[in-house]
Amino acid sequence: MKILRGVYEGPGSHGILGIAASTSGVHTVLRAYPGEWYLPALYGAWTRTGEPAPVTLSPVRNRPGGTWAPGDLAQDLSGVVRRRPEAETLICARSEAALLSGEGTPILALPENPKTGLSPKLVTCEWESPSIREAEAADLGLAELVKAHAQQGPKSLSPTVNLLGPTAFGPNATAEYDEIERILRLVGVSVNVRAPLGATVEDLSQLPRAWANVVLCREAAESTSLYLQDVFGMPRVTTPPIGSVGTGAVLRAVEQLCSLDPKLVRRAVWAELARTTKLPWYARLAVPETFRGRRVALFGDLTYTTGLGYTLAREVGLEVAWAGTYLAHLEKDFLFHAHTFTDEAFVEDDPEAVAARVEETAPDLLVGTHLEREVAEALDLPFLPLCPPIFERSFAERPIMGYAGSTVLADALEGALREPRIRVRAKSSRSTSPTPEWTEEALEELEEIPAFLRGRARRLAEEHARTLASPEVTPEILEESRS
Amino acid sequence: MTILNESGAPDVVSPLHGLPNLAERLPETLLVVAGTHADAHLVQSLSVRLPGTPLNSSTQHCGGFGVHPRVVFVVLEPDEEQSGGALASRVVEAAAGYRRTELVLLVACRSVTLLGFDAEFEAELVGRRLGLPVRALNPAGDGSDVLYTDLEDSATRALVELCPRSATGSGEGQTLPKGSLLGKLPFRGRNGRRMAKERSGARHPVVLLGALPGPQEELGAELTRVGVEVAGVPGKEVGRLPTINEGTIVAAVDPYLVTACRAAEQRGAMVSKSLLPIGVDGTARFIQDVSTLAGYGASEAGRARQVWESLEPLRSRIRGKRIFFTGDTGLEVPLARFLADAGAVVLEVGTPRLDRHSLAAELSALGEDVDVVEAPEWRAQLDRVDSARPDVVVASPGLYVPLVARGHLCRSSLDFLSLGVHGYEGARRILELFARTFERAEKLDTLNL
Repeated sequence: MKILRGVYEGPGSHGILGIAASTSGVHTVLRAYPGEWYLPALYGAWTRTGEPAPVTLSPVRNRPGGTWAPGDLAQDLSGVVRRRPEAETLICARSEAALLSGEGTPILALPENPKTGLSPKLVTCEWESPSIREAEAADLGLAELVKAHAQQGPKSLSPTVNLLGPTAFGPNATAEYDEIERILRLVGVSVNVRAPLGATVEDLSQLPRAWANVVLCREAAESTSLYLQDVFGMPRVTTPPIGSVGTGAVLRAVEQLCSLDPKLVRRAVWAELARTTKLPWYARLAVPETFRGRRVALFGDLTYTTGLGYTLAREVGLEVAWAGTYLAHLEKDFLFHAHTFTDEAFVEDDPEAVAARVEETAPDLLVGTHLEREVAEALDLPFLPLCPPIFERSFAERPIMGYAGSTVLADALEGALREPRIRVRAKSSRSTSPTPEWTEEALEELEEIPAFLRGRARRLAEEHARTLASPEVTPEILEESRS
Repeated sequence: MTILNESGAPDVVSPLHGLPNLAERLPETLLVVAGTHADAHLVQSLSVRLPGTPLNSSTQHCGGFGVHPRVVFVVLEPDEEQSGGALASRVVEAAAGYRRTELVLLVACRSVTLLGFDAEFEAELVGRRLGLPVRALNPAGDGSDVLYTDLEDSATRALVELCPRSATGSGEGQTLPKGSLLGKLPFRGRNGRRMAKERSGARHPVVLLGALPGPQEELGAELTRVGVEVAGVPGKEVGRLPTINEGTIVAAVDPYLVTACRAAEQRGAMVSKSLLPIGVDGTARFIQDVSTLAGYGASEAGRARQVWESLEPLRSRIRGKRIFFTGDTGLEVPLARFLADAGAVVLEVGTPRLDRHSLAAELSALGEDVDVVEAPEWRAQLDRVDSARPDVVVASPGLYVPLVARGHLCRSSLDFLSLGVHGYEGARRILELFARTFERAEKLDTLNL
């Protein structure tokens, strides 16, 4: 049991819903209590396509006996087949409460689709359990879908790759796929299938046609790419295509796997370095003092945190104070990659503990998820919310990956690091009113506050003391700030 | 009026979405959400502004992201050894971090029961340790259909249960010093001495349940105008709750406060079964019936006529407009009744759950040609909206974007929860909202794109 102010990841069912909502032709039947319904509202807010969410609720409830009222899983699945002929594949997800209720899985056989005369495929996720969270469930769910559909077939005539990446729930997801596809085209490689976002059920069966798999997000496609490697012998590229170096590495890996002409690839990279990507330019134009001794802290998922960490450390030349992730099931992977650019790497799923670390380190730049915004604002730190989960959705999607993405990154960095270090520091401590001292009594009061809230309480009290222009934090100020 | 039970799965966003609003409305209350990781994620991801929902203060903190500062999660681990009292200890720990807390509401999600906790008992333990009133809320109810407003209902019920049974001084509600409230508020199980104080013959004080602070005052003023003694509205200040006992009239102003009314009835209070004070005639009937019940008796016919006349310019904007309610809050029936009276054509009133008993007066006042669909299937509703082509759809958040994409003019059903629909002024606000909506749509339609 934990007291939390927020969570980074959703439950497993949310991950499965994300995969299914990204792939057209896949319809999710969510087994959950009626009070746990949320997806259509969020789907509308996130995708803004106007399509109704491809999900049907099979409510766990006391059903009026002998009726057609929803509530019986087998009956609800048949209902979806009858009413939603466009659903070629059904996937069944269970909410955490439904999993805890201990109900068994009925023996399921789907009726025929009235349009095609075929029974849709039913994918069940036997591994679902309350301990498997969003990212892991999304990874395993995509693999289930691929296992159910992928078919051995002839390879494509010209070099092609599959892009395995983020789901529709990630912000900027479409832009990331677009950018990588654009770069691959420059070296003469076309994209066979994008999965899960934008794929159709038909596409999933065509996956083995490609020559290789390019994994944009390990957390989303680790199991799928391993399955395709084991069963269909497809090699994979797992470097995150972030920053000019990361993107170049991916292109060179594809060059190897598809036996491309190295000269052609080098020329394409040079052309991009000259035209598109501005990150190396930014790094060269800025004086060394812009970066020297400035410390960045990163927190987020696996791909973006390690990709951005590497880029900021090597390409830009910032010192990475630490890097952390909330993805406990990828701990080993994360620590291995993060230790290539920082000494301190950790796994943590309590936002308040992350905030405490930020406060202790007081980095010159914080790259994190939307849950770090509050601490960054309280400490007045330059903050870039670049790691999922991100709640903000903009109509105009901008990539972070690829060469165009590294230019977006250069802009973001320039904005965040514009003020020289001394001024940033001075600003954070508001040189006109320096960090207020704590009186003995106030410190005693602070000690009484439970640990999980102490950091936040201290920040609020210091802020309040500054607005009052008080040189010290008294118990009264502490009290007032906590109303 | 026909009632059709479609027995479908309606689109109702989890009642937990209402947590930030509740936290805003009960300023000295700490909301502790007990549930699994999934429940915390649900509350947090719904903290974003949903499309079509109003801008209000509850989504303004942290730049619109993150949960409300007075909402905290106690996340249960399913594979942990669960022992009685463990949840209470965590809630106490969480509450210690907040000052000026007068009330703790323990929002117990479904998983709390599934994991073997007794939320009521844990709340009782927390109350004893903190010396504060603590109540457990169970917005998920008994596992039948939910309304978006179930959280508000259960919170109002908790407040009703915290109301003192006997007034120590005047009938104007008990003023309690802030701080240690233990021993001053009647807890469940404590033997509250019932003192039915009947002063001045058969006249009874009235306690209103529901509505936003503004409309509460307006309604209170209307009732005071006809001579009724309004004892108060539970919710404004937890330390200042009105007395509820056998001599009290309890009048709910929102249709969905069913369990709150039941709790008042169990106290022995008389619960008004009038029309709801939504719309002109509804407000008039409400004031008339409540004042009769309280022993005063007043006629509102003149006032109602006067208000209708003043609304005439707005009415002409609404007359003949075809309105469709997809239904998720429970406010649909009285709103539809008023809009039909005002001259609109109501095509369908969807409602996830229809309590025929508490809505009896409303249903009989509903126009002849209005169809009520109970438990509508949301996808079937999309098709019905498409074929009916209404002028405006009052849509649940999940249907808002798909309907707008199909070219329908929509207003979010949650708009009406924050609008202040009650009383004569509320009637004006409702008509103005629709008039504004039509006006803007007409302006956008004139653009040459």
